[in-house]
Amino acid sequence: MRVSLKWLKELVDVDVSAERLAHLLSMSGTKVEQILRPARGIEDVVVAEVLDISPHPNADNLTLVDVKVNGEGSQRVVCGARNFSIGDRVPLALVGARLPEMVITERKIRGEVSRGMLCSGAELGVSKDHSGILVLPQEAPLGEAVTSVLGLEDAILELEITPNRGDCAGMIGVAREVAALLNSELRIPEVVLESSEDLASDVSVVIEDAEACPRYYARYLDGLSVGPSPIWMQARLVAAGLRPISNIVDATNYVLLETGHPLHAFDASKIAEHKIVVRRARRGERFTTLDGTARDLHPDDLLIADPGKPVAIAGVMGGADSEVSGDTTTVILEAAYFDPGVTALSARRHLLRTEASARFERGTDPEVLPYAAARACSFMLESAGGRVAAEVADAYPVEIRRPTILLRPARTDALLGIETPPEKQVEYLRSIGLDANSNDEGIVVEVPSFRPDLTREVDLVEEVGRLAGYDRLPSTLPSGRLGGLDPAQRADRALRRSFAILGVHEAWTSSFMSGRDLDLLGLGPGHPNRRAIAVANPMSEEEAFLRTTLLPGLLKSAAHNFAHEGDGVALFEIARVYEPSGELMPREADILAALFAGLWVRKGWVEPEVRWDFFSAKGVLEAVFERLGVPAPTFAEARGLPFHPTRAATVALGDTTLGAFGELHPDVCNRFDVPEGAVAFELAIAPILAALPETAPASELPRFPAVYIDLAVIVDEGVAASKLLAAVRELGAPEVRSVRLFDLYRGDQIPEGKKSLAFALEIRDPDRTLKEQEALVVRDRIARGLERDLNAQLRA
Amino acid sequence: MTDSAELRKRFETARDEGLKIIGSADDLDALEEARVKIMGRKAPLSQARASLGKLPEEERRALGRLANEVYNALESAFESKRERFAGAATEQRWETERIDVTLPGLNLPAGAIHPLTKTIWQIVDVFIGLGYRVADGPEVEETRYLFDALNMPQHHPARSPLDTFFIEGGGDEVVVRTETSAVQIRTMESQDPPVYVVIPGRVYRRDAEDATHTSGFTQIEGLAVDEGITMADLKGTLEVFAQEIFGKGLEVRFRPSFFPFTEPSAEMDVQCFVCRGSGCRVCKGEGWIEVLGCGLVDPFLLEWVNYDPERYSGFAFGMGVERIAALANGVTDIRQFFTNDLRFLSQIGSRS
Repeated sequence: MRVSLKWLKELVDVDVSAERLAHLLSMSGTKVEQILRPARGIEDVVVAEVLDISPHPNADNLTLVDVKVNGEGSQRVVCGARNFSIGDRVPLALVGARLPEMVITERKIRGEVSRGMLCSGAELGVSKDHSGILVLPQEAPLGEAVTSVLGLEDAILELEITPNRGDCAGMIGVAREVAALLNSELRIPEVVLESSEDLASDVSVVIEDAEACPRYYARYLDGLSVGPSPIWMQARLVAAGLRPISNIVDATNYVLLETGHPLHAFDASKIAEHKIVVRRARRGERFTTLDGTARDLHPDDLLIADPGKPVAIAGVMGGADSEVSGDTTTVILEAAYFDPGVTALSARRHLLRTEASARFERGTDPEVLPYAAARACSFMLESAGGRVAAEVADAYPVEIRRPTILLRPARTDALLGIETPPEKQVEYLRSIGLDANSNDEGIVVEVPSFRPDLTREVDLVEEVGRLAGYDRLPSTLPSGRLGGLDPAQRADRALRRSFAILGVHEAWTSSFMSGRDLDLLGLGPGHPNRRAIAVANPMSEEEAFLRTTLLPGLLKSAAHNFAHEGDGVALFEIARVYEPSGELMPREADILAALFAGLWVRKGWVEPEVRWDFFSAKGVLEAVFERLGVPAPTFAEARGLPFHPTRAATVALGDTTLGAFGELHPDVCNRFDVPEGAVAFELAIAPILAALPETAPASELPRFPAVYIDLAVIVDEGVAASKLLAAVRELGAPEVRSVRLFDLYRGDQIPEGKKSLAFALEIRDPDRTLKEQEALVVRDRIARGLERDLNAQLRA
Repeated sequence: MTDSAELRKRFETARDEGLKIIGSADDLDALEEARVKIMGRKAPLSQARASLGKLPEEERRALGRLANEVYNALESAFESKRERFAGAATEQRWETERIDVTLPGLNLPAGAIHPLTKTIWQIVDVFIGLGYRVADGPEVEETRYLFDALNMPQHHPARSPLDTFFIEGGGDEVVVRTETSAVQIRTMESQDPPVYVVIPGRVYRRDAEDATHTSGFTQIEGLAVDEGITMADLKGTLEVFAQEIFGKGLEVRFRPSFFPFTEPSAEMDVQCFVCRGSGCRVCKGEGWIEVLGCGLVDPFLLEWVNYDPERYSGFAFGMGVERIAALANGVTDIRQFFTNDLRFLSQIGSRS
């Protein structure tokens, strides 16, 4: 809502600057977004009279115009428009004048000197009209600054109106707030309307849905001649952001701005029988709104119709067929109150947010209708002549009653946290036009029709609070309770920190995915990640589904980095995935995913280049688990896209499968534009958090030294390292305390199809120092067992 | 010459000669050689000492003292020279082992916590310090929690498929959540007062993407419900928050506003931390930056969860994490948070 300070001052005394007023409004709940000054940037543009118009000798589309600014002499300008005549008053930009987008100089146009320029409305910023010169009223004094004639020396406050304050979508409502803030008097303009008793109004109204339209008020006018509205009215409409159309339409829009209540003027000759029917749309009904769009109506749309056809979508937009045109002489003026919800839903359904719908949506004042209609009629008669019938149509089956609310002053204090004396509370409530009176129980408040948002005691507490100002509130702290993170939340942080410390960056990627993302991963139609929740109304194909995997997001982020000078990427993300559950609510789970591609360590003066690969990535994961204190994850070979057929695993924690880990399939890497050899994993978080250690007392440190012995065995290629390690641990128990694989060898001295693995064994007795001989016995026991169980051969 | 005089002479000669030899030794090896030569078993000093036994008691004692003096003199001359040589040798070793300490260390690539996570942690930590816990809820949410319980009218724009993502098979009952506020309801439903929680989480709206909008973004919501909670408590709490996040000494102000789920409602502005109120590019000349929406929990919500609004009151607040993170880090396009450019993440992500 754009509020002209000049206009505002007609409604209420304002004895403070625009800036101060803006501050007061902002701090009482009506935020001023900015202050515009339309006259700023316009200098030396004055009212001139056209003395003569003659053709340009060298250009058919130009004319030479002689104008005078004051008594003596005239000056000649070259002009391209022809919409004015001799004797008209027009805006003349003198040589040296400034306009918002230009400075006027004396110059030759096609050989003729032009001393200044005649201005269009657009050039002055008062309208969007470029087509002709802005013709000023005859009474505009010659030589006067156009900015003052057009009322541009003004400050325009751009207000942000909250959804509950429909009343502030009109000048009178804003003025009421200002009156309260400045402690001054609100002046509502009086309507002087001479209606004609002898003009019969045969307008009739039938409301079929009184809930959607509780009141429909209409007046009938005839003998009108449609033309432009007065320049002052046009200027105000433009300043408010509306386009002037005609004296009839402008009058309705002006009153909309003034009262906040939308009106609509129908060409009465287009309304059959002058009968207005307010009804819901019929199935399959179509209607062309005045923006020229043919619309399929919805049975919930509320229509204004005559007996034969719809003429408007109630509260949203009128029809092209019944709009006021240049030929219109009779008008049915609608002033109706529509249900906020019905209007809002229609507007949204048809993607039509209009000045009218925006106001109905917030709630308008059903009692202002007669006033608003009379006000508009008076403007119409003033500028379009004609008559208005004294008889009105007013269908108002059930009066809308505003509540009476009891406000307990102590309740105000209890909620605000500061004491406001009851008399003071009464004063605040009265200042905004509420009828407030104290009695034994508290303050009895009669809510007026223009404040539909006030329905409960707490609403009045807010009124007192905001008018008194929140800056006067003390700053206190509630007692709080025992704060903190729970173990899972602490572990979540530890998890993220661990990755960061180990060189992996945390990523945040979109929660949506596309079918194509899964195609790029090579996932077949039966893959579990294909069981996804489809978004019913996605913004794009890219966001067609809620994601079931974090990998596409990480791969795209990696590709971005490789495309932007990156040579190595390690990213992890912890985020949610979603899948259908068979119930109303989908199943959601937090997932830990990571991607490692390209260089890990760049070659340095001391260190060699290291690329991310399966085992470096696995090391990171193992280190993270160790930092969390959960058992090491176990890996078992597995095959399936998006992974490399023979370089992928399922990861488990104990008996619980966490997810998949592996080098990505080269085709997947290529499709996502990341280097081949990239490694990724995706694991469920919940089982990891469930495995977090309980705090346990520290175990005693060993008091006797261990014996360290190496054991090297040759086994078939097919024997998994994990199997061998497990066997060593089992066979070595209880003396073997730790096993570390320190060598894997194939080649010389090792037969084809075999491999040699070497382990360092820590052998220890808690109660005494073992002799080397005893340790060797343990080793032999292990070697024999390995030979028996895994066909392993002790390597000399 | 008596034996004794002669022996004395031999000791003195051995001393003088010995000192001379030690003096002329010019490295550790020569010194070792000299030692053998002057103090070894076959050295004149040793031989002279061996002759002492032949002397009578009295002379033997006197010359014995001399012999010890000579021995000690040689020994100490030798030791001091040996130490000098040894020191030089060590020094030389250090020289050969010199490194350029200004060479870079081993490259241990560092990762970083994402700036949005960092911002969430910073905010959450402030409230943990004030006695809050962290709550969480589903991202796909029932409309009865997200809209009905939050006092949103049937025609509220958020209920429309223009603004909000719906899911196939969810009808009008389930949407992708547009704000974290539904977790307020879920939390209150699951426990009795007092409630002190903060709720970070992702939310989704059908906003066209630009520098300040993405279809998915992040919020932190706060809720305190207890006996006697007031607007002044809200003010005090959020002032502490603003000081911790934006810096001490910045003013905050509360402008009345409107939200369906709070009454009274307010928006909190923080004095621009760049210009401190005088107006600059960051605050668009206003001197103030809009940070969050807040208010007292609307009694409608309390009644919904069967809390007695006459006994309990509460406040709630909600803010956009991207906006806070962007302000705090001078980021002008929030889409950068989701691009995951390592150069960006390394700059403003957290290392701790």
